[in-house]
Order: sequence, then structure tokens, then C-alpha cells
Amino acid sequence: MIEIGLTHYLVLSTILFAIGLFGVMRRKNLLLLFFATEILLNSVNIAFAAISHYYGDLTGQLFAFFVIAIAASEVAVGLGLLIVWHKRHGNINLDKMSTMRG
Amino acid sequence: MELYLYLALFSPLAGSLFAALFGASPKTIVAGVVPSVLLFVSFVSSTILLLHILSGGDAVHVEMMTWMATGNLYIPFGFVVDQVSVTMMMVVTIVSTIVHVYSIGYMDHDKGFNRFFSYLSAFVFSMMVLVMSDNFAGLFIGWEGVGLCSWLLIGFWYEKESATWAANEAFIMNRIADLGMLIGIFLVYWNTGTLQYDKAFAEMQHLDTAILAWMGIFLFIGAMGKSAQFPLHTWLADAMEGPTPVSALIHAATMVTAGVYLVVRANPLYDLIPHVGLFIASLGAFVALFAASMALVNRDMKRIIAYSTLSQLGYMFVAAGLGAYWVALFHLMAHAFFKALLFLGAGNVMHAMHNELDPFKMGGLRKVMKGTFIMMTLASVALAGIYPLAGFWSKDLILEVAMIEHHYIIYSVLLFTAGLTAFYSFRLVALVFHGEERYKLFGVHPHEAYKFMLIAMSPLLILAIIAGAFKMTYFEMVTQVLPATEYHIHSALTYWIMTIGTQLFVILAIAYAYKKYQVAKEDPAMEKRLCYKILINQYYIPYFYEEYLVKPYRELSTIFWKQVDMKIVDATVDGIAKTIYATGEKTREMQSGNLSTMLKWMVAGTVGLLSLAVVFGLAARYSDEIKVFLSGLGV
Amino acid sequence: MLDNILSILIFFPALAAMFGFVIHKDSARAYGISVAFIELALSLLLWFSFDSNASGMQFMEQLPLVPAFGINYILGVDGISLFIIILASFFTLIGIASLTETKNVKNMIITLLFLQMTMVGVFAALDAIVFYVFWELSLVPMLYIIGAWGGPLRIYASIKFFLYTFTGSLVMLVGMLFMAYFYYQATGVWSFAILDWYRLILPETFQLWLFGAFFVGFAIKVPMFPFHTWLPYAHGQAPTIGSVILAAILLKMGTYAFIRFSLPMFPDASVFFMFPIAIIAIIMIIYTAMVAYAQEDIKQVVAYSSVSHMGVIILGTFALNVEGITGSIFLMIAHGVVSGALFLLVGVIYDRRHTKMMSEFGGLASVMPRYATIFGLMLMASVGMPLTINFVGEFLSLLGFYKQSHILTLLAGAAIIVGAIYMLAAYKKMFFGKVTNEKNRNLPDVNKRELLALIPLSIITIWLGVYPKPILEPINNSVESIVQLMHDKSITEEAKSRIPNLIEGIEITKTSTQGAH
Repeated sequence: MIEIGLTHYLVLSTILFAIGLFGVMRRKNLLLLFFATEILLNSVNIAFAAISHYYGDLTGQLFAFFVIAIAASEVAVGLGLLIVWHKRHGNINLDKMSTMRG
Repeated sequence: MELYLYLALFSPLAGSLFAALFGASPKTIVAGVVPSVLLFVSFVSSTILLLHILSGGDAVHVEMMTWMATGNLYIPFGFVVDQVSVTMMMVVTIVSTIVHVYSIGYMDHDKGFNRFFSYLSAFVFSMMVLVMSDNFAGLFIGWEGVGLCSWLLIGFWYEKESATWAANEAFIMNRIADLGMLIGIFLVYWNTGTLQYDKAFAEMQHLDTAILAWMGIFLFIGAMGKSAQFPLHTWLADAMEGPTPVSALIHAATMVTAGVYLVVRANPLYDLIPHVGLFIASLGAFVALFAASMALVNRDMKRIIAYSTLSQLGYMFVAAGLGAYWVALFHLMAHAFFKALLFLGAGNVMHAMHNELDPFKMGGLRKVMKGTFIMMTLASVALAGIYPLAGFWSKDLILEVAMIEHHYIIYSVLLFTAGLTAFYSFRLVALVFHGEERYKLFGVHPHEAYKFMLIAMSPLLILAIIAGAFKMTYFEMVTQVLPATEYHIHSALTYWIMTIGTQLFVILAIAYAYKKYQVAKEDPAMEKRLCYKILINQYYIPYFYEEYLVKPYRELSTIFWKQVDMKIVDATVDGIAKTIYATGEKTREMQSGNLSTMLKWMVAGTVGLLSLAVVFGLAARYSDEIKVFLSGLGV
Repeated sequence: MLDNILSILIFFPALAAMFGFVIHKDSARAYGISVAFIELALSLLLWFSFDSNASGMQFMEQLPLVPAFGINYILGVDGISLFIIILASFFTLIGIASLTETKNVKNMIITLLFLQMTMVGVFAALDAIVFYVFWELSLVPMLYIIGAWGGPLRIYASIKFFLYTFTGSLVMLVGMLFMAYFYYQATGVWSFAILDWYRLILPETFQLWLFGAFFVGFAIKVPMFPFHTWLPYAHGQAPTIGSVILAAILLKMGTYAFIRFSLPMFPDASVFFMFPIAIIAIIMIIYTAMVAYAQEDIKQVVAYSSVSHMGVIILGTFALNVEGITGSIFLMIAHGVVSGALFLLVGVIYDRRHTKMMSEFGGLASVMPRYATIFGLMLMASVGMPLTINFVGEFLSLLGFYKQSHILTLLAGAAIIVGAIYMLAAYKKMFFGKVTNEKNRNLPDVNKRELLALIPLSIITIWLGVYPKPILEPINNSVESIVQLMHDKSITEEAKSRIPNLIEGIEITKTSTQGAH
């Protein structure tokens, strides 16, 4: 049986990051976009935690908590805006939001 | 004496400015009389200076004020009256005074009367500056000044296309030569450190021959333009578009001889470079023959005389090139008198014939224009070089110089040309004054010119007859500054054979001309011959210039403008600007406001930055290896 | 007052322009003329109190701006800049006095006064940053003049003019920053003062790079081939007054900057680049003269002729000896006077016929004799007739460069031929021949207001051609000190031999007196 090491965590983190990135690029639904963002943040959290454990330095895990807190508040604000948007326009399609067109 | 110097120099300028005051107003006789009187003042002052010099006085040298001074360069307005310049001053003031008086009659009915005198006097002033300056820069002022006045006067009747064309041609062609002159002046300055004649010539004695040769060549190029030597000769014949007094003064007596004056003035330089001198002499001999040949068949009275001038300038350059400077100057003087006379006579004929120039349409004018007839005949005799008129003394001397210097080819060319000269001069006289009165066919009623014009011309006639008598006085005077080589054929027998032979040859040529053109008839057989065609077309040189220099220049200019400047240089600049602008246009789409595209760009940016970070990280880690690798590549 | 005369000269027109906003538009012209007149009087006072025998900077003023980085407000004039400043105020006066535009005269006058501030500022500044600020500011009024009063293509022309010169100046600014940095490295102090920079001896490679950076800015401004294409557009579209100021003063900023910056700061690079630049100058002279010959529009002829003459100025500058540089500075003034006058003359005919095409004219000499005379005089000055102002400059420039190269001078000397060709051809087309176009039959000759501008220019053209000494002497003294500085600073053998050592004579006498003791 192989030892689960830092590398594995980092590979997992990378894969998750890629999935998240792909989601950010491809999804048109704003809600799914938030999911993708969550995946991105959490992939980074995994990396933080793994490296923190590897070096025995708690700063990384501290940072991960920090990210979780920020993500939570971000999702709260984001979802709030999303609901307002849906009430007003009846959709949450990303391509329709183009009032900022330059 | 300084007062007389200034009087001689500045009276023409005063006259010019005075006439210019009336430039825009209708004809006022004052505008003609005052400049003439002022020129007479100039003439009298020159005479006083001449007497001063003749009586053994020192050369008058004044420095009026500084012109340019910078670095080591110091150019003053300095004027010198020595034996050479006083000769030129006399020639210039005599001929121009006469021409001024003559013009009062000649330009009588012209609406540009006042303007004409302003230009003419300005010309005399420039010419005086040219001959009186004591340095090369001052010479150049006069040099360009006479060019400007020549431009104004050739194009005097500016409504005529041919006149303005000729004026521009003359100016531009002279400019080409002036570049040579300018380079010559630069050479003098950088090698001798000064432009003053006396100092520069003194310095030249220590210089390398090669440098001196270049100086001589470039200065001579300048002389070639003003004196219309081959290949810059075409402007002179075209310059006959100007009023006839102008042709007499500028294009016969004074301006065109400026080149000869330059060579004479620079005699210490040309003495050091005899090979350049020989080139000058050879070119002179060539031009003498070349121009005379074109005069043989021409059918324009003024052009015939112009070619004759060209030919005589060739003679002068032969003398100057062979080191006989005083002979060149002597011929210059004699030539000025009889050639001006010839031109003024031609002006009378033109007036009588209502500006007709083709001698084949005249004939028999001696009955109505007795005075002009006598004057032009005598001038032609002088030009042909018959004893005892002026031309004999000066021209024969040039032949002797060529003989004594053992340049037999030049001698024979000049001798042959002397025959041609006699022929074409009397061809003209015969056609104009003898034979049938062909003008009647054209309904012209010729009349003699005003009496005062004839009286004005008479001093020239006298001088053309007796100028030879001054030979020894003149010789003693100028040889105080010019090399005093006396040219005597050693054996008296040779001398007499030569002189009498030449005289006979010339008289034969005259007789032949009379015989052939007494009865002027068109000769179609001759006109078909190739040599006739070549001669009447001036060896096709003007055609060549037009086709192979002027036109290509014009076309090239258009190409430079429309193709190179607009389509390459400017298009490149605009191209760069357009590329930048287009890049902006294209990349603007990034900012479409569409969140998903913006997200895509954000992701792309993140990926790009991350990969850059990776690349730099790797590069930093393996920097040593990379250095080794790069040095292996030879970077 | 004399202590601050340069600041007064710079800011008086600006201040007057501010007040100009509240002046009633009917009296704007009188106001503008009086301001410009006072300014000209002040600049003549500057000349009057200028010590012609001193070679260094005079009327120096200094105020700290950003002391930490050595940016100071330093002003001063020497013989090189003095006459261009006078020329600038002279042309502003002439320009305002001869103004014929009826549209928005007030704005035009205000713009011109602002422009005057920047022009005087450029030539008086002795601090690189102050210089740069005025240099760039001068673009703005000109942009406005072309853009607001120009012809049909005015927007294109003005933007091209602005962006082109602005791009060049940015490269120059980078050069200035590097120069200041090198100065800091060498001395440990920041300084943008030009006189400080003069004392800095740079290695040759640095000189080459910096020379290149400055060159881009200056060459576009001059304009040198192949950066010249903005000029015909700017001239073609600008109103008469714009063309006059542009040709007379603004173009001189480039050549002046070469003498103020490039030569004394980078003597070795100047020698290194001498021949390439001379070749560009020769291309400018001959090529643009030919382009001028092909033009159909008289104003474009004059515009291209400017480029051609600027070639001679550049050549004289890079002769790197006293004769050449003095000649080129004199030619700057001469060309300012003559081309300014030529543009005014073109403006005269444009006002009457509203066209500049030469084919529309012909035979004007009989219709407008006075106009033809003045045009003829300026034409002759332009082709370099002796005893006119241009000849002195051209002669000295070419004479100076002849020391460096015979062949190139011979080629450049073609200027006197090709110049005559296009000018005479243009004159012939416009003035000679018969009056063919009926519209030209009754054109009025030049009126009093136009004569007011043209007569002083004609007088100057002849006066300085006959007696250039009052100007030539101060220029000569300042140039001698610059050439000596270049010789002393230069490090390569090549440069030492190309740039003459002027005090050689003094050294020899010193040693000889020592030997005698």
C-alpha cells in the first residue's frame, strides 16, 4: 500500500482547481458559477492544509480558515445579489448581464 | 582716391534704386536719364582711377566693413582697384554707360521702361562688385548678383513663355557652375585659411599641387558656367530672348567675360598648375571652333552674334589657359567694344524690322540704315581681325601665343576658327545689308534708329577701331600685376608669313561669304545634308538636355512625391498608427461587458501569469545550467 | 527687472492671455498687438543688455522645484538661444498684426500668446524637465490652431502632428531620465540641470544609446527624413499664421536642441553619427527639393522647401566646428525669417483667391507687381542669393562641413541647384506668362496690413544679409565655448581630431613663454 503524501494532496488540489477553473469558464448559470468558485477556493484550501501539515506550520491552516470565512461571506452576499437579480430579470443567465458593455 | 572708388562702385546702385522708385509707375524719362548720368559719374570716377594707376600710383585698397566673421573665417567688404580691376572697370562702365543711353531710345515704347533701368543699373553694380572685390567671397557676391540680374533681364518680357524659360535655364545652369565655384572657395579657405586674394595666393605657393589642381578645376567650373563654356553653353544662345541692349551689355561685353576675369585674377594659382591651364586652353579652343560652327548656319541674327561671343570667349580662355593673362584681358577688352557695337547695331535692325530676327527676311537695309550699316560692318571687320582694327591686335596675339607655346593643334584650330568667324560675320552683314530688299515682301517699312542712339554707339565704334593702339600702354600697366611675358615670334620672317597669311585667309573667307550670300537664296540641297541638320540643331545638345536631364528629373520628382513620399514613407507612418488603432479596435471586444467572456479572459490571464511564474521559477533554479547552455550556443 | 527678464518674457504673454479671456472681442486684436509689442520690446531689451563678448549663460534664474530629484526652474540665454527668442516674439507680433481670420479672432490671439510662452520657455530653459514641459506644451496651442482653423483635413493633420511629435518626445524623455540617472550614479546627486550634464563625461556606448534616444525626439521635430511626412500635412491644413509660426520657430526647436543637448553632452556619439546624419541631411536636401518641384500647391512647395533647408541646418550643426555650427544657427534665424515670409505671402494670395494651386495662377506679375517683387525677393533669399540673410547661413554651414567631407559637401551643395529649380519653376508658374484665368485679372495688390508684416521681414532679409555681424558675433562666441567643451570632453581619438581645439594657440604661447624663461 502506498503512503498518502503531500504529492497526492497537491495533485488532488490541482485537479479540483482545474475543474473549478473549467467551471468558471464554461458555466452560464450564475448559481453554478458560484459552485465552481467554491471548488476553486476549496482546492486551494486543501493545498494550504496539506502544505501546512507537511511543514508543521499552522499558518497555512489558519489561512485556510480565513479563506473559508471569506468564501462564506462572499457566497452570502453573492446569493443575495443573485436573488435580487432573479426577481428583477427572471433569469440568472450570465450572458444576459451585459449592462456594463463598453 | 577712395572717394572715387566708392563713387564708381555705388553710383550704379544709386541709379538702380532711383529707377526702382518708379518701378510700378508708367514710363518716366527721368528713370532712364538719372541712372545713365550716375553711370557716367561711375565712368568718370573709373577714368580718374585709371589715370591714377597709369601715373604709377599704388593700387587703391579699401576695407569698407566686416561682412562675415566667425571662427577663423574673416570676410570683409573689401575693394581693390589695381591694374586688372581698373581695366575691367573701364570696360564695364564704358559699355554700360553707352548701353544705358542707347536703351533710353531702344526701350522707348516699352511699358517696363523704369523697371528695365533699375535692373540694368543693378547689373552694373553687381558687375562692379565682382571685379573690384579683394576676396573670393566678394567675387561670389558679384557673381551671383550678375546671375540674378541676368535672370531678371532675360525674363524681362515675362509674358513670353520662351523668355521666362530661357531666364530660368540661364539661372539654373549658372547655379550648377556656381556650386563648383563654391567648392573651389571652400578649398581655398580650408587650405590657405583666408579668402583674401593676396594672402591666399601667397599661401598657395606652399601647397601641394594636387590640392591646387582641384582648386583650379573647381574655380574654373564656376568660370565655365558664367562664360558659357561647353557643356554649360546652351543658356547663352537662349538668353537672346532678353532685350537687345541686355544682350550687348551682359551677354557679350561684361558678364560672360567674368569667367575669364576669374582665371586672370587667379593667375598665381593657375601659374602653379600648368596642366589645368592646358585643359582650359584646349577647352577654349574646342569651344571657339564648336560655337563658330553653329554660327555658320543659324538663321537668327542675335543667336549668330551670341555664338560668335561664345567662340571669342574660347579664344580668351586659350590665352588665359596658356598663361598669357594680359593677352586674354586685352582680347576681353577689345571684344567688349566691337561685340557690344555689333549687338547694338543688331538692335537697330530689329527695331527697324519690327523684331524680325531672320536675316533671310531682310536684305538691302544699307540704303535705309546707313549709320547702322557702317557701324556693324566695321564691328564685323574688327571681329574678323582685319588690320588695323581692335580685333586684329588682340586675336592675332592669341594665335601668336599658341604658336610660341608650341601648341600647334590649338593654333591651327584657332586659325581655322578665325576663318569661320570672318565667314559667318560677313554672311550676316551680307544678308542683312546687301542684296535684294526681301523685307518688302513682308510689308515692313524699316527706318533708322534715333540719332542719339547712333551717337551713343559712336564711342564704341571709335574704340573698336583704335583699341589696338593702346596695346603697349596697356601692356605696361597690367604687367605690373600679371606675368609680363612678351610674345614675339623670334624670326621676323615667320612673323610676317603668319600675319599676312592669317589676313589673307580671313579676307578670303569674307569674300566667300559675300559671294555666297550677296544673293540670298534658300538652298534646300544644303539643308538636307546631315552636317547642316546637326549644326542647325546645335549638335542636338539642347535636345539631349531636355530629353535626358530635364524630363527624367521632372519624372523622378513626381515619382519621389507620389510613390516614395506618399506611398512608402507616409504610408509606413500611417501604417504603424493604423496597426495600433486596429489592435485597439480588436481588443476592445474583450471589454464586451459579457461576464462569461470576461471570465474567460480572466482565466486566461491567470493561466498565463501562473505559467510565467513557473517558467521564472525554473529559470532561477537552473540558472547555472542555462548559462552553460547559452554559452555553448555562443551567445 | 533685468534679473527676472526671462521669467517675465515667458509668463507675461501667458498672463496676458489669461486676461485676454475677459477682453471684448472687438478689441482683441488691438490687445494682442500691444501685448506682442511689449513682449518684442522686452526681448529687444534683452538683446540690448546682453553682453555680446561673453560666451556663457546670461540672465540666469534659479528656483527649486523638486530639490530631492534635482529638478529646478533654471533659465538663461546665450548667443545661441537669444536670437531665436527674439525671432519668436517678432513673429508673434507679425502674426497677430497680419491676422485676417475673422472667425474667433479672440481665441486665436489667446492661443498665440500661450504658444509664445511655450516657445520662449523652450529656448530659455536650462533644466531638462522644464525644457521638456515647454517642449510638450508647445504642441497644444499648435494642435488647437490647426484643428480649429485649418483646412478640410485639419483633424487628421493636427492629430498626426501631435501624436508623431509626441511619440518622439517620449523617447527623448526616457533619454533624459537615463541621463539624470547616470549623473546620479556618477556624482551621487540628482540633477536635471543641463549645465551640470555638460560636465559629465560618459563612456562611448552610453553616449551612443542616449544620443539615439534624444535623436528620435529631435529628428521628428526638425523634421528629418524619413520622419518628415507630418510636416506637409500640418502646413497644408494649418491657417497662414499656424504655418508661419510652425516654420519660423517650432521647427527650430529640433535643431536648437541638437546644439543644446546632443553635441555638448555626447561629443563622441556626435562624431560617431556624423556621417550617417550627414547622409540623411543630404537626402533631405535633394530628395525633398525634388518632391517640392513636383508639387502643384504653392504652400506645399514652401513646406517641402523647409525640410530641404533644415537639411542644410543639420549638416552645418554636424560639421562640429565653429564655422559650421555658427552657420547653422544663423541659418535657423534666416530660414525662420524667409520661410515665415513665404508662408505669409502664400497667405496673401490664398486670402484673395481661396486656392493655393499654382495652375490657377499665372501672369500675376502684371496684376500684382508689388506682391511679385516681395515674393521675388524672398524667393531669391530662399535660393541663397548673397547679400540676403539665407546666404550667410548656407555658406557657413557648407563651408564648415567641407572640413569634414569633400564629397558629401559637394552633394549637399546641390542644395543651391535644386533649390533654384523648384523655386524658379514655382515662381514662373505663378507670376510669369499671360493672365489666363479671368479671376486673376483684377486681384488687388498687397494692402497696408500685409505690407506692415512683409516690409520689416524684407528689411531684415537684406539687412542681415549685408551686415550679419550683430548676430553672428554673439553666436560665434557661444559656439566657440561649446566646441571647446566638446573637444575637451571627447574621449575617442576620432572625436579629438574631428572637433577642433580652439585654444591650441594659447597653449603654444604658454609653453613658449616657459621655454623663454
